[in-house]
Amino acid sequence: MTRVDQFESVFRAADKERFSYRRIEIQKILVVTDLDASEAAPFLERVRGYLAVLGDDALWKPAFREAFQTVGDLLDLVEKEAPDLICTYRNLRSHAWKWPYSLGVHLDVLTQETRVPIMVFPHPGLESASGRTPEDTRTVMGLTDHLAGDDRLVNHAARFTRKDGTLILAHVEDQAVFDRTMDTISKVPSIDTDTAREDILRQLLKEPEDYIESCRHTLKEQNLQLTTRAVVTVGHHIREYKRLVEDHDVDLLVMNTKDKDQMAMHGLAYPLAVEIRSIPLYLL
Amino acid sequence: MMYATFSPLLLTGTTPEVSPGVTLFFGALLVGLILSLALEEKLHAKKSVIAGIFAVLCLILGDLFDLLPLGKVIVGGHGVDMPVYIPPIDWNVIAIILGSSLFVDITSKSGLFTWVAIKLTKASRGDPLRLLILYGLMTVVFSAVLNNVTAMIIVGSLTGVSLKKLGRTDRLLGFLLVEGLLTNVGGLLTLISSVPNIIVGTAAGITFVKFFLVAGPFVAVATLLTLWLGARIFRIHRLDTAREREEASALVAGFDENDGIVSRGFFWFGTGMLFLFILVIATASILPLIKDLGMGYVAGAFGLIMLIRYKATAERFYQALDWDLLGFFCGLFIVINVMEHAGVLHLIGKGLAGIINLGPTAGSSLILVSSSVASSVTDNIPLAAMLAKILEANPEIGPDPTSPFWWSVVFGANLGGNITPIGSASTLVAVTIIHKYKLPLTFMGFVKKAIPFAALQILLAVVYVLVFLG
Repeated sequence: MTRVDQFESVFRAADKERFSYRRIEIQKILVVTDLDASEAAPFLERVRGYLAVLGDDALWKPAFREAFQTVGDLLDLVEKEAPDLICTYRNLRSHAWKWPYSLGVHLDVLTQETRVPIMVFPHPGLESASGRTPEDTRTVMGLTDHLAGDDRLVNHAARFTRKDGTLILAHVEDQAVFDRTMDTISKVPSIDTDTAREDILRQLLKEPEDYIESCRHTLKEQNLQLTTRAVVTVGHHIREYKRLVEDHDVDLLVMNTKDKDQMAMHGLAYPLAVEIRSIPLYLL
Repeated sequence: MMYATFSPLLLTGTTPEVSPGVTLFFGALLVGLILSLALEEKLHAKKSVIAGIFAVLCLILGDLFDLLPLGKVIVGGHGVDMPVYIPPIDWNVIAIILGSSLFVDITSKSGLFTWVAIKLTKASRGDPLRLLILYGLMTVVFSAVLNNVTAMIIVGSLTGVSLKKLGRTDRLLGFLLVEGLLTNVGGLLTLISSVPNIIVGTAAGITFVKFFLVAGPFVAVATLLTLWLGARIFRIHRLDTAREREEASALVAGFDENDGIVSRGFFWFGTGMLFLFILVIATASILPLIKDLGMGYVAGAFGLIMLIRYKATAERFYQALDWDLLGFFCGLFIVINVMEHAGVLHLIGKGLAGIINLGPTAGSSLILVSSSVASSVTDNIPLAAMLAKILEANPEIGPDPTSPFWWSVVFGANLGGNITPIGSASTLVAVTIIHKYKLPLTFMGFVKKAIPFAALQILLAVVYVLVFLG
């Protein structure tokens, strides 16, 4: 019955994920800071300027130091305001932002407890030192290790890409996982290792490539006036993503943080969110 | 015909005198072969091994009883030394199967068949009833153009994938069963659609076009009736609401028919060659030179032309050939030849004479029904080969390609495969796919579900033979 499997494989491969466009509506933006109103003003201004892509109609709602103390307070605040987007930065109510090893408890919990997307900006303290927040969202990168079928990620990334900007859809297969699988395959006599390596890798990369092509086609149809580019490769996740962000001069990095199999942040998102601190991150 | 010229029996002219005891002994061997083939699954033995062992046994016993026409074989007027087991093999049939298998296998690499299959899936817009009709028609056409097993593999595997995609796996059993039953209907369409057709058609001297013109109307009606009955029994309806239709349409729209096409050039080459293959096969009996070389030559030549595309890796396709079927044929032809020399076929022929003497109406009906029943429990190939030999030897039927008896064997041998899951290789493939999807279906469960279809088809065939061919 190997021929049944062969044809099933052909038909399964032909069954492709197609991108379905949905405009993301962002009416209300909650900006959470641990500064008082006067200290937060430059940050608020930078955030509004950076997110000019959202237009003038959005309602901006700042939350200053006194608005919350504990994580529970912050969650209550989010529930009460019911925003479409939360803008904040790492290590709220903590000095740990000086050391690049964590997001802080507020952000840790917030990313998992609320369905509202969170945009994490460089810490104002870091910004005053490096002055890094980009002026706008000219180059947005949607990034994942499983892009095919992730309409939500692409729609959000497209929403934040400014007119005439570039949307980079990046998919990186983990080299270590692939090597481990191939190492196992190389010990199975009934599988031709070289053929398997070639075919599996080709199919792994083909699926996101086909999906990105579908995204490109649909976004063009929607006349969003942005350029869609594909980056599909194999590599060490964190290292490769950091390289891509630097090489493409990315202004906003969009990624998923929820993992249905666990309560903690998505395995890939956490280290990226911790390590890539110099540009805004959009956490879904 | 070439194979007849090689037949040692025909060289000797008559069946040698054989004692009744020896005939009965060899008759028991034939029954043993048929039973072993029927119990193939239980024995865990391939057909080629079973037929091969019986061939080896028959040859040594045939020699022991001095039945075999040993000595030189006359080829083109010259006596040629040839092992006694070589001339009985119908090399034209072997060449047709080998060549067309090679041709179909390589052509499928062009992505043509998957392209057609996915195009039809998208044309159905995910509507179950439209899908059943289109898959049913595709099964019939693929069975006619390719072979039953390949057709079932292609359509069955797509059915599994597409119904899963549509969230309709509750209808999978019905779809696969109807498709399995339609492979044997489609297998009736042309002279090369199934092995019994090739054997009987070649023995009767029926041309490709004649075969198609006679079988075509029956296949059309039987297909429509099978689809109608399948939709009713398995409750396969159209989608009710516009929303359901929209959702289903969006789901199948994700299929990309071009995904399996590696090279556009090869795709069009494969398409062109397929049409040319059908055209040449259809006109093989009238084309100058080709008519001398036969359909086996055409199939082999087309297989080799397609192989040029993969000339450096040709061995992959040789490995994919159904050597079990080819080996089975060789063994079977040898056994039948020994049975002929042992007077077994003559004995069966005498038994059948009673039926044949009932006349073209009752006789052909009885042959059709009994062939159906026989081929439902054992392989239809030995049945067709044996009956073809017997009919060929009949002075009234043998020289008459329009005799309804030939068609009774063709219809009976093909449609009998629809009564049980072991009746034909393609229904066995259908059941295997059904079990692959963990759907419960026992032997008797299959029979219960298939019997209304098989009875309808066989009844239709009897009426068709009596009214139009009698």
